[in-house]
Amino acid sequence: MILLQAAVGGLLLGAVYALFSSGLTLIWGMMNFINFAHGEFVMLGMYVALLVSWVNLGPEVFGPAAAVALMLLGVIVYMGLIKHVMRGPMLSQILSTFGLALLLRYSAFYIFKSDFRTLPDTALSGTLNLGGIYVSRAQLLAGLLAAVLALGMHVLLTRTALGSRLLAVAEDRNAAMLMGIHPDRMQALAWGLSAASAGIAGALMAIAYPFSPSVGETFALTAFVVVSLGGFGSVPGAMIAGFIIGLVEALAGYLIGPIYKDVVVYGLFVGVLWIRPQGLLGTGSESRS
Amino acid sequence: MLLEAQNVSCAFGSLLALSEANLSVGQGEIVGLIGPNGAGKSTFFNCLAGDLKPTGGSIRFNDVDVTRATAEQHALLGIGRTFQVPATFEDMTILDNVMVGAFLRHHRRADAHAKAMEVLRLTGLEAQADLGARSLGTPGRKRLEIARVLAADPKLMLLDEALAGLTPAEIQRAIELVRRIHALGITIVIVEHIMEVILTLAQRVLVFNQGRTIAQGKPSDVVKDPQVIEAYLGHGRHARRERRG
Amino acid sequence: MRRRWGSIVLWGGLLVYPWVVSFTDSGDFLQDVGATLVLSAIGACAWNIVGGYAGQVSVGHAIFFGTGAYVPLLAYELFEAPPLIGVPFGIVVAVTMAALIGLPTFRLQGHYFSMATIAVAELIRLVVGNWDLLGAAIGIQGPATPRVWWDLIFRSAVPYYYIFLAVLALTVYITWAMAGSRFGYYLRAIRAGERAARSLGVPVRRTKLMAFMLSAALTSVAGSLYAIKVGFVNPESGLGILISVQMIITAALGGAGTLYGPIIGAIILVPLQSATNTWFGGSGSGLTYILYGGIIMLLARFEPGGFVELWNQVSPRLWRLLRVRAKTERARAA
Repeated sequence: MILLQAAVGGLLLGAVYALFSSGLTLIWGMMNFINFAHGEFVMLGMYVALLVSWVNLGPEVFGPAAAVALMLLGVIVYMGLIKHVMRGPMLSQILSTFGLALLLRYSAFYIFKSDFRTLPDTALSGTLNLGGIYVSRAQLLAGLLAAVLALGMHVLLTRTALGSRLLAVAEDRNAAMLMGIHPDRMQALAWGLSAASAGIAGALMAIAYPFSPSVGETFALTAFVVVSLGGFGSVPGAMIAGFIIGLVEALAGYLIGPIYKDVVVYGLFVGVLWIRPQGLLGTGSESRS
Repeated sequence: MLLEAQNVSCAFGSLLALSEANLSVGQGEIVGLIGPNGAGKSTFFNCLAGDLKPTGGSIRFNDVDVTRATAEQHALLGIGRTFQVPATFEDMTILDNVMVGAFLRHHRRADAHAKAMEVLRLTGLEAQADLGARSLGTPGRKRLEIARVLAADPKLMLLDEALAGLTPAEIQRAIELVRRIHALGITIVIVEHIMEVILTLAQRVLVFNQGRTIAQGKPSDVVKDPQVIEAYLGHGRHARRERRG
Repeated sequence: MRRRWGSIVLWGGLLVYPWVVSFTDSGDFLQDVGATLVLSAIGACAWNIVGGYAGQVSVGHAIFFGTGAYVPLLAYELFEAPPLIGVPFGIVVAVTMAALIGLPTFRLQGHYFSMATIAVAELIRLVVGNWDLLGAAIGIQGPATPRVWWDLIFRSAVPYYYIFLAVLALTVYITWAMAGSRFGYYLRAIRAGERAARSLGVPVRRTKLMAFMLSAALTSVAGSLYAIKVGFVNPESGLGILISVQMIITAALGGAGTLYGPIIGAIILVPLQSATNTWFGGSGSGLTYILYGGIIMLLARFEPGGFVELWNQVSPRLWRLLRVRAKTERARAA
């Protein structure tokens, strides 16, 4: 029974993983670029929620506030930094977001200190008993909302005009230009979207779990594992993989011990790279050098 | 036969970009591959160069099966190729660029250096040896591209639209260079759009259209072939021209 | 000609530094900073081989540094052996790990390699941090007092400084010899254009792997030197991501892919870090990394070639200016 409990918890957290990993894989698919600061974007979402709670606004504001703040940040980061390093050597591409990650992480450490915090109690506290399985209200809400938003992202990309414009740039930049789509604008938008997905995920997690500036690093790695497992650039892949990783993590934590759950996840990552680098839904050609 | 490509096909998913292409190239020949865009000549070229793996057929070089060989193995066996958009090593000097090629057969630095200088002399880049490769314009880069491959002592050189984007004067110089290379005994297969180049250089021409080869023979014969004219001008033009008389 | 002078000045300066500094009030402290500087330069030079010359950005070099630090100290803790004995074993372990990481990842695009290095580094840090045999979170200590001279325990930083300097000289020599060789040219070609390199017969995967292994070996040595001097290592100080970051930024700031770039980077950064630690006290390390993050971003955005590149662009103008001045002086005198 406790196993089932752990599984449910894992799936709920996995939904959040799916959400923020979708953002990472979108950028990867569009621009062949890995945002090493993505974990920090999630972390910032958590702290936006904290700040919003400090001005006594209700939890329903957390998500939107984080979305707006991070979307803005994503666009600014693209325009000020990414756009320029895209044409440069690999070293500067990797360094650019890596430096950003350091800047954001240690700024957060400096401002908020390294303690784990939780958001003040709200109407979301308390646990529900679903047929013998105890689930905290907050975790349930976070997981469900995350799943809905992740799905929404997929729908946005595949069924709206905007989405097809984004995908067109990902597919063939030059062709998209000829069709009157501005690749630059679309890429900026993608960055905004990606950061927003991370921010909302962070805000949702802040409602349900304790957080500190140190989680950014962990989430970055989680996102890497998820997108690698799910497949290069595949948002549906990231979604499925998110649930899988959440589940695996929870079960590993329960069966082997909380200390080793990270080890299992990273080990899985290395395994994926070794055996099937294109992930579940990738086709393989994109991953080969 | 130096190069034997038999029934080479290449499919990308459901798209059959190249279907059953055949080509035999003898030692010392210059063969041209022509055809409209998307006709499959680039696909065929990349299969020959080892960049793409054919999904059907076989390619033999010097009696060695190279159908599934890697680009690195191709170079070792003596097949060199240039890129349509010159893949210059920007951060290195012109000499260093060529030395990378030279190191294939000359493992010691002094030997590679000597070989590189020799090739630079042949391609007319000797004076700029110590300049950064970045300083070259397109014609210079194409020249460097060829020099680099030459330094690796290829028996067969695959030139991918090496003369595109050049002025008429530059084209003349480039044709000169290709002739000099040919005079060294190197077999050449060249993909080209510019008719003038093909007519002057190629001894034999293979015409592609819609993934298939539609004609092969001397350039002067091939340009009169009705199917070839059809391929380039399309939509029954040839028949209409005939009717008009 | 200019370059020859530059390196003579550099090595000369490094050679006499401890002596010169001994005349100041904080001589001991400055000598210690010097030792740290040289050690940092060794690590950066080691990273430079795979990250700078070959262009394969490893963000997990702490793995090799940590290996080099842990193995000698383990040799002491488990076998009472002088840590020095453990150094070659550390190298062997580090090189093996490099091979294991590189084999699957080097056939994939560059980003995969970078991500894999981060993940494996974290993985190892977590495992070591929970393994009692390896000291778990507490870490391992070396000999407290010297039993024999080759325990290499000195009170002053100066002997360490010169040992490190010798290793640095060796590292630079190895890098120089490699850069001019066929291997070095192939590395640079891989960085400049992998596809073209392949078409010229460069065995890309094998070359990357060898560069990674060489880099790992040298990094391991740096880690060993650290363990011998400090006499202690734990998962944070030996395997933390900040160690990897430090190596990268030191090499990149000075000039990744150049011979002296990493040393210049160390000369800029180590005193800077020392100063911020002094100014900002204990919390200084947090601010230091905010600064590092900012520097890395600016570097990536504006001058990825680092200080050396900056110098290459600025110095011709400077020389021209000086020569013009000299000409006008002579004209006036005449």
